[in-house]
Amino acid sequence: MLSFQSSCAEYSRISRRRFLGSAAIAGAAPLVVPRVAFASGRGTPRPTLVGIFLRGAIDGLSFVVPYGDADLYAARPGLAVAPPGATDGALDLDGFFGLNPNAAELMPAYQSGALAFVQACGSTDPSRSHFSAMRTMETGTPDDPQSNEASGWLARHLQSVSPTGAGDLRAISVDDLVPRVLALAPNALPIPDPSSFEFPGNPTTAAQRRSTIEHAYAATIPPLAPAAASTLAGIDLLASVDFAGYVPANGATYPASPFGQALQSIATLIKAGVGLEVAHYDYGGWDHHNDQGPITGTLATMLADLSAGLNAFYLDLSGIQDRYLLYAKSEFGRRVAQNGNLGTDHGSGGVMLAMGHRVQGNQVHGNWPTLAPNQLDQGDLRVETDYRDVIAEILATGLGGTDLPYVFAGHTPAPVGVVL
Amino acid sequence: MLFQTTTGASVGPRQEIAPARRDDVRTLLHRATFGFTANEFERASSMGYRAWLDEQLDPASIDDSALDARLAGYPTLAMDAETLVATYPQSSGGDVFVAQQLISARIVRAVESRRQLFERVVEFWTDHFNIDGTDGPLRYFKTVDDREVIRRYALGSFRDLLSASTRSAAMLYYLDNYVNSAGAPNENYARELMELHTLGVDGGYTEDDVKEVARCFTGWTFRPAGVPGLGAFLFRPLTHDSGAKTVLGTSLPAGGGIQDGETVIDLLASHPSTAQFLARKLCVYFLTYEPPQVTVDRVAARFTATGGSIAATVREVLATRSYREARIDEYPRLRRPFHMAVGALRSTGATLGNPAPLRGELFLLGHTPFTWPAPNGYPDSLGAWGSNLLPRWSFMSKFFDGQVTGSGISTSALFALIGGVAPAEVAATLDQRLTGGRMSAVDVAEVQGFVDSQPSWNGSVARQAVALALSVPSTQFH
Repeated sequence: MLSFQSSCAEYSRISRRRFLGSAAIAGAAPLVVPRVAFASGRGTPRPTLVGIFLRGAIDGLSFVVPYGDADLYAARPGLAVAPPGATDGALDLDGFFGLNPNAAELMPAYQSGALAFVQACGSTDPSRSHFSAMRTMETGTPDDPQSNEASGWLARHLQSVSPTGAGDLRAISVDDLVPRVLALAPNALPIPDPSSFEFPGNPTTAAQRRSTIEHAYAATIPPLAPAAASTLAGIDLLASVDFAGYVPANGATYPASPFGQALQSIATLIKAGVGLEVAHYDYGGWDHHNDQGPITGTLATMLADLSAGLNAFYLDLSGIQDRYLLYAKSEFGRRVAQNGNLGTDHGSGGVMLAMGHRVQGNQVHGNWPTLAPNQLDQGDLRVETDYRDVIAEILATGLGGTDLPYVFAGHTPAPVGVVL
Repeated sequence: MLFQTTTGASVGPRQEIAPARRDDVRTLLHRATFGFTANEFERASSMGYRAWLDEQLDPASIDDSALDARLAGYPTLAMDAETLVATYPQSSGGDVFVAQQLISARIVRAVESRRQLFERVVEFWTDHFNIDGTDGPLRYFKTVDDREVIRRYALGSFRDLLSASTRSAAMLYYLDNYVNSAGAPNENYARELMELHTLGVDGGYTEDDVKEVARCFTGWTFRPAGVPGLGAFLFRPLTHDSGAKTVLGTSLPAGGGIQDGETVIDLLASHPSTAQFLARKLCVYFLTYEPPQVTVDRVAARFTATGGSIAATVREVLATRSYREARIDEYPRLRRPFHMAVGALRSTGATLGNPAPLRGELFLLGHTPFTWPAPNGYPDSLGAWGSNLLPRWSFMSKFFDGQVTGSGISTSALFALIGGVAPAEVAATLDQRLTGGRMSAVDVAEVQGFVDSQPSWNGSVARQAVALALSVPSTQFH
């Protein structure tokens, strides 16, 4: 095959996204109906929830490696990450799991107790389609894949609680599109670059033009009408934030990658105290069917970027760790056995991580069903921990409350112990 | 001087066509083109609804020589992969150049082609058979795929389109089938072939079908670098799984060779789920987000009855009865950013210079052609795009302020649009000329309110009024 450089500065301008970057929401949008009657005044300050969707299905077995399970090496003779101590071996986490060495930058957060993993975690939706699995995961309806639920679980959470700030801009997606998990969220906007969010054009006529936009959009349909109001309020709100002069604390250095820059913007907003309740980022590119490269290839490069970004965020906010709670997950995991191309096809159980306020770190949570062939679900790692149970702890305990029967209707969360 | 008050020219409807029919033509132009223009409205109204549609569904009958002459400046468009790689080597950034030329040509075609419905259908199939042209060799291969697959068969037979796609180096690379081999199957392509290209996710296939279809396409690859004919389709019998297979209940005997894949293409192209899936998606694209089942069924039946003729199927989608069933004036569709941006150029008669700066604008709008990473193509829904408004406002403001280098509305085009119009009639005139009179009363009043708020009426105010008219809600829809 031809050899192709993966990075090209000029080209990166037209390729912000990576493979499987955004699965945007579909369908018409009914009115957003807040679930709570907003009392006068504001809600109690809560940590900002930072959601990261690793789209395309990250290979959890190459990220948080179950090196203590001998069946890993039987199923992946050319692909599995070696045990700790071997060349390019995993970094031990708990005597059974080890971290991919390219993710070494996560070690400080993990060892400090700020970062936790959950293995064999995922969705009860058996679909191996990226798009179906994302849809039911984001609407929070994995037990009913045919559901017509239009709203996302994160949107329903926001509908359930009072805003912590003025409420003009409660959630942002650092992207061009709103992810389905935020579909029908009140005061949620896609903002691809929060540092550049200004009303355009000639300043001398800006007030009149803005008035035209404001009144015209007030008369149209959702989601345009509420989005326009949030946009205009957001312009004022973000103008008060000094993005250009931001200096990360504790010597943290964010990667220059889109992910790193998005996290820096989110950290800036958290420290600015503008009442942002949710920040979401779609990190695509994890669908590695071919030449996966957990040690020196594509996956290695991406794990290094993910880890460098998360480490910078951890360092930058250490000391005010109660101001955020971050999670990252995929729509599903990847098949236990490697395929014919040193890659992996679509699987089931995967890995999830949580970091920040009240996270019970320095642990790999969740029951491990083993990789023994007779324990697999059609060749895939079984889902032992429902992602909704982790989210439920994040919302109810980490963020201090939500309306769980509304957020995940029909599901009774089981305790996981990730956030206490 | 250009904008002195006069009584203004009439822009009312022509008398020889009944208003209802004229409204249908107007709707057709909003849905079937990349942007309403007053001139095309007059031409189509004169021709009549059916004649205009007949013409557009036979693109070869339309003289597009002016566009062809302009596209002659894009030699990459006509080259095969081997020639592209040799002429524009990656070591000097040639791969990026080739990909950028394709995006530029996409902009030029959308704005300037007279085969507007063809270009809209091309956009549909580009999303349907999505390929991310930013990834490695796809920077070369997508140019070939665009020409030999999408544009070649866009209004032809779906079976031919699908077959060409299965053999396209771009698709074979993008979804990993080029390495799909006997004993070492790779399911990526097989799954998306059924889920996204033909049956739809609920179309009745199983996980076993995914595995079996993957086996059927083992050995389907392309000529690699270092041998003549880089990128040409290649079937490798030695890496094809020669065993018996079962796909969607049909048994394929052992030793089928390349015929296994052909059989799968036949099964999928003629499957009732494919007809339903494509019919619904076309109705969503041209009519409304939630089309009535009766319309979808009739379009699907047309697809089946014509053996998968795309032109016949699109004609059924765009029939006036489909409009009425879908009540499309009550359920407007949001124009996606690319459509809105090129439509702004078309509707205002703006000049399209070197498209490179517009590529940058499309990036800011989040809708650069050929760069969607996932195989499902850019989303096409109100929910996906309906909250990201500031880039739209910013684009219109910049473009009509003359801040997009090389392109913009000339003084003469601005005069043609609203020169000689009384200041009090500016918004109503823009409504007529940009949309044929489909803007909401609120939007017209608000744009007029801006004009009225200004101390004088001049070219700068006029430019801002045009930008606002294309920023208010009504013009985001089509």
